[in-house]
Amino acid sequence: MGLRVTFNGQFRDATTNIERASERLLEFQRQVSSGRRLDRVSDDPSSASSALGERTKIAQVDQFTRSTESAYSRLSVVDTVLSDIVSKLTAAQVAATSALGTTPTAAQRTAAAQQLDGLKAALLDDFNTSLQGNYLFAGTKSTTKPYVVGGGGTVAAYAGSSTEVQVDVDQDRIVTVAFDGSAITQGTDATDVFATIDALITAVNAGDSDAINTGIATLGNVFGRVTAAQSRVGSAMQTLDAEKLRLSATKLASSERLSKLEDANMAEAITGMQQADTAYKAALGAAATASKVSLMDYL
Amino acid sequence: MSDLLTSLNSTARSLDAQRFGMDVTGQNIANVNTPGYSRRTIDLVSVAPYDPTSAGGGVEVVGVRALRDRLLDRRLQQELPAERREAAVADALRMVEAAIGRPGESLDVKLNAFFDSFAKLADNPTSSVARQEVLLQGGALATSFQDMASRLRSAQSDADQEIRGVVDQVNTLTSRIAALNATASRAAATGALPALQDEQLTLARQLSELVDVSVIDHGNGVLDITLGNGKPLVVAEHQYDLGTSSTPPLGYAAITSGGTDVTSQITGGRLGGLLQVRDVNVPAYLDQLDSLAYNVATEVNSLHTAGYDQTGTAGGAFFTFSTSLVGSAGAAQALTVNPAVAADARKIAAASITDAGDNQTARGIAALREARVLNSGTATFTDVWGQLVYTVGRDSKDAADDQLTREEIVRQIDQLRDQVSGVSLDEEAANLLKFQRAYEANARFFRACEDTIDALLQNLS
Repeated sequence: MGLRVTFNGQFRDATTNIERASERLLEFQRQVSSGRRLDRVSDDPSSASSALGERTKIAQVDQFTRSTESAYSRLSVVDTVLSDIVSKLTAAQVAATSALGTTPTAAQRTAAAQQLDGLKAALLDDFNTSLQGNYLFAGTKSTTKPYVVGGGGTVAAYAGSSTEVQVDVDQDRIVTVAFDGSAITQGTDATDVFATIDALITAVNAGDSDAINTGIATLGNVFGRVTAAQSRVGSAMQTLDAEKLRLSATKLASSERLSKLEDANMAEAITGMQQADTAYKAALGAAATASKVSLMDYL
Repeated sequence: MSDLLTSLNSTARSLDAQRFGMDVTGQNIANVNTPGYSRRTIDLVSVAPYDPTSAGGGVEVVGVRALRDRLLDRRLQQELPAERREAAVADALRMVEAAIGRPGESLDVKLNAFFDSFAKLADNPTSSVARQEVLLQGGALATSFQDMASRLRSAQSDADQEIRGVVDQVNTLTSRIAALNATASRAAATGALPALQDEQLTLARQLSELVDVSVIDHGNGVLDITLGNGKPLVVAEHQYDLGTSSTPPLGYAAITSGGTDVTSQITGGRLGGLLQVRDVNVPAYLDQLDSLAYNVATEVNSLHTAGYDQTGTAGGAFFTFSTSLVGSAGAAQALTVNPAVAADARKIAAASITDAGDNQTARGIAALREARVLNSGTATFTDVWGQLVYTVGRDSKDAADDQLTREEIVRQIDQLRDQVSGVSLDEEAANLLKFQRAYEANARFFRACEDTIDALLQNLS
């Protein structure tokens, strides 16, 4: 005996097939209209959890990019200030040199001393440079003015911190953004640049060539430290430039992986949708045709 | 030798038999859409001749049989609990999945934003804007944990509500089966047994969808039903209710039978699925979520308390729990930003020394994003969150896939059952034609007998 085809069986088959076909069609339509392969985590749990990792990676790269940009803009200010300090120091050395020997007149020495005094004030301003309320040469004491003028025009000792402030610009990659002012102004010398200039002014006024030479030599040391700091900042800025490129490459790679994990393959989705549409229509057609005929019609 | 009148008698019986055949066909057609209906067939036998010169006494209806295959009914009762169980799990987990949210739109975003805010603070530790941002993101992270925990909790209590409802349905079904059992002997006497059995089997099927039961069909219209572990639900006309008793700490229903807790023995059917979601799946997710919240708080706090705030004072805890915890249980629900810190952004410790401009602590907290501090130093916070998302997705997908497979099995069995018991309209149409033609032919024969008797009578007159 052959298979008994029953009314209910036929009906159940037809509805199941129509349901499945319409479900497939709906799924492809969703992919095409949303552009996303994954709607729920359960569509592909392992891809979804990898996608999560990529998103975190991208979030971190974005953060590093922001830190890089902020550090870069801060370092360009530091670089400008350091260049200014270099020119002021050069001017101070020139002024002090002009007072050397017995040739300069008392008036010329007074002029040189006055020039030195002006340069000292300018250097003071430079080392007290602040950006968004933070002093750049006070180390971690960024809200404390590193050098203040005390009684009698003398500059008080360094009030900042010897600890520098660093920020992360990548995994295990840090860059200094607030510097130890005293390491530049004094270093291993007996006095800082301001006391040195004060001594020079006294020496220039007195015409004491030995003391002037000592002062010039000390200024030379300061000059050396400033240019060293400048090249440190310069190379840090170069690193940051390279870092920006690297970060954007990392982000691009992560975004591509994320897109592969989450986004629908449009060509596939559209083809799939057309196939599913055809299958759906076929299932509807088959059901309609099958239920159209019955022996009842012929009795 | 039979006479003409005997022939008339037997023809009348034949006409009755054919008409009865049409009746049965009509009954089959009428019940084509009745769930659980097994098609009936009429059993006819020819009546043996009374003596050697008799052709026979025509036809007789022996009975009406319902065509069913007990083996298929039993297979169905075995497969349905597993199928319905997976369906219940899949349904409930789909809701949990929605609660967990899609990657890139959920807790992972809040975690990233929180660590971002500390990185921004490290860039500018004295900025009050950066400090406000940290408070904002810390608060958002805590709220996100709280929301997630309460959504999981409500998934659990939804399952509990449904469990209580299902237990009621089970009791209704078993009491109806017991009532039918009670009428079995009367039904057998009136020929209503096939209809009664159809109804019983339909009820047993509905019961199998709710809970895994074993059905003992005595074949005489009495079904005995026991739970998987042998606890009786129906014995002859006696019915035993399942009960629910609210148990601490959360007041969820335990299922009892005759005063004994049988919750752990129910594994199949909708009830088994709901119990699994309520007692196994969701608690495991909550544990993971709590442990994540607890660890975020602990790791952040251990750095934060070692640091110094903007005023140079040693930092307090950044996160606190609104209720006291035992272990990490309930951590997600109770996570908040320390109210003292929330009230004064200067209390956020960004520095590791007393200088306001230092950013070591903020950098350290920002670096926690990528730090492998969990699962004995193998996983980051996002990894652990990813594992939770993966587990929920996997469980949900497994249940849905499993349900699909089992649904197909059930469909196949239903199809096989239909081949035996289902009504085919074409077949019934053919049967109708068959009985109708047979009726016509018998009527024609009746007429012939009558004509013959007529002819005889006319000769006599």
